[in-house]
Amino acid sequence: MKESKEKMSRRDFMSAAIAGIGGIIGAAIGIPAIAYIIGPAQKTESGDWIQLGAISKVEMDTPTLFKTIIENQTGWVKEEEEFSAYVLTSNGRDFTVMSNVCTHLGCRVRWIDDQNIFACPCHNGKFSQDGNVLDGPPPRPLDRFEGMVENGILYVKRG
Amino acid sequence: MLAKVADWLDERFGWRQVWEAIFLRKIPHVNWFYTLGSATLFVATTQAITGILLTMYYVPDPTRAYDSVTYITTELPMGWFIRGLHHWGASAMVILTVLHLLRVFFLGAYKYPREVTWITGVLLLLVVIGFGFTGYLLPWDQRAYWATTVGTRIIGLAPGVGEWMLRVARGGSDLSAVTLARFFGTHVWVLPASLAALIGIHLYLIIKIGISAVPEKDE
Repeated sequence: MKESKEKMSRRDFMSAAIAGIGGIIGAAIGIPAIAYIIGPAQKTESGDWIQLGAISKVEMDTPTLFKTIIENQTGWVKEEEEFSAYVLTSNGRDFTVMSNVCTHLGCRVRWIDDQNIFACPCHNGKFSQDGNVLDGPPPRPLDRFEGMVENGILYVKRG
Repeated sequence: MLAKVADWLDERFGWRQVWEAIFLRKIPHVNWFYTLGSATLFVATTQAITGILLTMYYVPDPTRAYDSVTYITTELPMGWFIRGLHHWGASAMVILTVLHLLRVFFLGAYKYPREVTWITGVLLLLVVIGFGFTGYLLPWDQRAYWATTVGTRIIGLAPGVGEWMLRVARGGSDLSAVTLARFFGTHVWVLPASLAALIGIHLYLIIKIGISAVPEKDE
């Protein structure tokens, strides 16, 4: 009875035990819940390599269009979409891969061989052979992709 | 500081009175079997939390349902854990509810003046079984599909209106997108609303009337 001041009362012990166990259970569900909700946001897009095709198809000093089907996955939805890009080489060893999407409003540009330009059909944007803006509204040159050649096959980094 | 905030709120809400009525009420000397109801309520709460989390990613559509469940289980961080809790919690709900019912039955706690508590309890058991039945279909895998095919066919055995009720349950003659959507809607809206209302009445009565003591030998 003398010690009752220092000793924890039964009621206080139960309160502390309930708070402690409750806290553990709360954390056991709460922390996984946070990880579960922020999970998709934490995932960085993996810049995987897309196989474009054989470099032997690229003509010297002429932008050549490559088309391939890539699989896109967002969450649980897998979709196939077409990926296309122009490939340019002046020596057969170094390749420039350019997007065929106009930097103005996203229309597809087309290489016009006899005029030596990329022309955009939407607002008359014109780009030079290496993608620089020659005329029209596009604000910047055609976007470029990082390329890689392995065993005669050209790959570009998804980005 | 905290005590001051608590006092300030108490002056306006009178929450201490409510707190005392719920948690500091007098109870007879009872045994561990009397915790089964609280255990059921605890699991029901975790089911609600994990269930809400699952709807963040689950899609009730036949072309996507299975893929979204696979995504939750294999690709999301801790998704397997959240789904696992919900999966095993479902079985725990049925087991605990039945054990709780048996305790109340064998200790005679359903008698006057607790009949309404008992009736809402039986309805709650039906709601829990409804949760289990509708939730079982949602992963939309082979087991889910065929279990629901068989389960709904039982409805069709009812005399006269059976065939019609089977069509209502399935939303047509066969299991389809309609079935999945209505099972989902029932699982996440109809049943939780019923559960909340019934638990509200059930708990109010328990607090209002108090729990029954363990019967004496000669009672």
